[in-house]
Amino acid sequence: MKRRTLFFYGLSGLAGCSRPRPRLYVYNWSDYVAEDTIPNFERESGIEVRYSVYESNEELLAKVFSGNSGWDVVFPSNYYVPPLREHGLLLPLDHARISNVANLALRNPPWDPRLEVSVPYMLGAAGIVYNPSQAGNIGESWQSLWEPSLKGRITMLDDPADTIGAALKKLSLPLNETTEAALLRAQTELIKQKPLVRAYLNAEARDQIVAGDLAAAHLWATTSAQAIEAAPHLRFLYPREGFAQYADTAVILRESRNPEAAHEFLNYLLRADVGKDIAEFSKTATPNAAARALLPVEQRDNPVLYPAVPGEYFATLPAGTQRLRDRIWTEVKSA
Amino acid sequence: MTRLRFWFLLPSRAVLAMLFAAPLCIIAAYSLLTRGPYGGQGAPWTIENFTRLIDPLYLVILGKSFWIAGVSTILCLLLGFPLALFIARAKSHRAIWLALVTLPFWTSFLVRTYAWMFLLRDTGFINTLLQAAGLTKEPLPLLYNDAAVITGLVHAYLPFLVLPIYATLERLDPALLEAAADLGARPWQTTLRVTIPLAKPGIVAGCVLVFIPCLGAYLTPDLLGGGKSILIGNVIQNQFTTARDWPFGSALSLAVMAIVLAMLLYVLRARKGAHLL
Amino acid sequence: MTRAVALAVYGFLHIPLLVLTAFSFNSSKFTVWEGFSLKWYRVILQDTRLLEAAANSLIIGLISTSIATALGTLAAYAMWKRRAHYLEGSLYLSLITPEVVTGVSLLAFYQWIFRYLDIRLGMHTVILAHIAFSLAYVVIVVIARLRTMDASMEEAALDLGATPLQAFWRVTLPQLTPAIVTAALLAFAISFDDYVITSLVAGVDSETLPMAIYAMARRGVSPTVNALSTIILVAVGFVTLTAERLRRS
Repeated sequence: MKRRTLFFYGLSGLAGCSRPRPRLYVYNWSDYVAEDTIPNFERESGIEVRYSVYESNEELLAKVFSGNSGWDVVFPSNYYVPPLREHGLLLPLDHARISNVANLALRNPPWDPRLEVSVPYMLGAAGIVYNPSQAGNIGESWQSLWEPSLKGRITMLDDPADTIGAALKKLSLPLNETTEAALLRAQTELIKQKPLVRAYLNAEARDQIVAGDLAAAHLWATTSAQAIEAAPHLRFLYPREGFAQYADTAVILRESRNPEAAHEFLNYLLRADVGKDIAEFSKTATPNAAARALLPVEQRDNPVLYPAVPGEYFATLPAGTQRLRDRIWTEVKSA
Repeated sequence: MTRLRFWFLLPSRAVLAMLFAAPLCIIAAYSLLTRGPYGGQGAPWTIENFTRLIDPLYLVILGKSFWIAGVSTILCLLLGFPLALFIARAKSHRAIWLALVTLPFWTSFLVRTYAWMFLLRDTGFINTLLQAAGLTKEPLPLLYNDAAVITGLVHAYLPFLVLPIYATLERLDPALLEAAADLGARPWQTTLRVTIPLAKPGIVAGCVLVFIPCLGAYLTPDLLGGGKSILIGNVIQNQFTTARDWPFGSALSLAVMAIVLAMLLYVLRARKGAHLL
Repeated sequence: MTRAVALAVYGFLHIPLLVLTAFSFNSSKFTVWEGFSLKWYRVILQDTRLLEAAANSLIIGLISTSIATALGTLAAYAMWKRRAHYLEGSLYLSLITPEVVTGVSLLAFYQWIFRYLDIRLGMHTVILAHIAFSLAYVVIVVIARLRTMDASMEEAALDLGATPLQAFWRVTLPQLTPAIVTAALLAFAISFDDYVITSLVAGVDSETLPMAIYAMARRGVSPTVNALSTIILVAVGFVTLTAERLRRS
């Protein structure tokens, strides 16, 4: 019944009826809150939350850059925080109103020291998920995704940063490489790999590897953890040459019409019990130390989600490098 | 009459000026600017975005896009013309035959693309059927290639071709066909030398209505092509989202529009099929 | 021969959708039939996000179609009387502009507007976009009908003392009704179906059905999409049949 009320309320909202409760517009990745996270917040705070989801950073950015997208709280990946900040699109956070930030293990990240405009929300990383019966004994290296014997049963992420990053790490180069010569070597690697790749897929690869169509996939840790839960014979590994890490962060947009409610919402998300529910439901790694302590043991110490050796964070790259990488991606796709 | 005409035209003119012309002018302006350090655009004014286009990489992609759009259009023609002919010759229930052509068109484009994903994937309907019938042991890789993309495009845009051709054929004078038969032409000769030339305006209009969306398509190559090939629509979309290079994307858009416009003008002038549109 | 090819093409057009429909009743989510079940339909009816998206699509479709049809009919009539070259040119140009270009140009336009007016992306930005791209289709359909219409009735009315407006309203418009209905149905189908442009200009509270379907399709196979498409097919089939009946009577 509650959902139907929400639906009709939404309809009347569209018709422009008056709204007695304050409203908060939140735009987040799909499957990134537990089922009762939002309803509990609405009940406790009396604020109504209009919650929408997206599947990629691009969808978010194109609208946020318009400067008047209508959202209050959004969740960009960490390497988008500096550009958003430079464009004056983020509201500086008032730490007095988000005291739960003390729960975080990550208080001084490279993209936002002192957490002035963002708060880390969920951690992620990209590695290799594979089917041992099909892939055999693959080594702990990115080379596994370049194995000719696995031709047609490999997928790579449809994300330039992740996939170019994988090629760079395979060559033992830094993830955020900027020199042209090095990047062109990565391009050669990817073009060499292309005949072996079945497709460039993101979350779609999960269903396929669970169904047994794939031998190995370049996939995010969270998605891989979900795949392993559906098909326990699958394995995940972090290649020894290094891998990419990222953090999805929560930010308040400067255009927000309700900064108090936005701060209240962030503070709520930073609570230990709320963080624990979210991490447990979405099977992601959480930067919230207090929440992590509350998780069941299999999740808390899951080596898939919490790598033993840290990876490298994606950094925001200068315009020239960005353009070169974009061109490399086009070259690889067009090969 | 002129007063009436002025007021009748005014709202449409206003809508197009504001929501079509103005946005295009902004894009034209952006194409001459430079990408800012973090995305966005600003001074200095430059034609660098256009010179960047003269690059084998983009020309190859453009070529491939034309090829895929061209093949899709030709396939649509080969499949759609007999269909239009059939409906035009039908003695009864023409409306139903016509409705059956347009019915898939009314369902969502995404649904139709998804239907092909459902059919073609490794664990999809066709492979399951083939393996159950014992015809194949391993699943055939039907998805994630150019053929799948073309199939999806043909399936999506076939109605666009059938309808204009049907409209022309419907107005065909049957006496002309009778005359040809009387003069000793066999059915296939009549079709080839009388029906088809007379249906030319419809064929031209139909081909245009199919070719242009196919050229700019990026969803179908994305979903059915597995992201393995990149067409010009993908490149444009990429510039405005991930790459955040609006000036280059704008230049690319204008270039594609210019090419399409040039093609259209050539075709219309040469064939005089414009009145159907 | 033509008949055989035609029937084969009909098969090509419809079989994918029929397969989709058939498997929407499958109790498992794999392509092996495991039993008849309505559970995916139940899932849809409980999915608030989908229902809201469907409602949004309907609202946007109805509003933009009404306005585009009205504006387009008036413009087609005026252009039939005497050609308006710039307007014609712009309409055809809007037809040949790739959807992605239309979408980003509107987004850029809104970005500029937002500097001066305090509005945001939302249903209204989508509706405006839909009106803009539907206009050309309406004009084409109506003007095609006008060109094959008998103009003498209108001239007779004018001779008998009617004002141009009266002649249009009481003589020409009734004759145009079937074409207007066709144009409206076309505009609605295009608006309801649009993904590219809508996804670029939609904002809060304005997710449409195609956007929801795309999100579902991106995440993998799910028979809920099958069930959804069956519902759409049945609804559209019903509307088309009713429109046909109304047209005949």
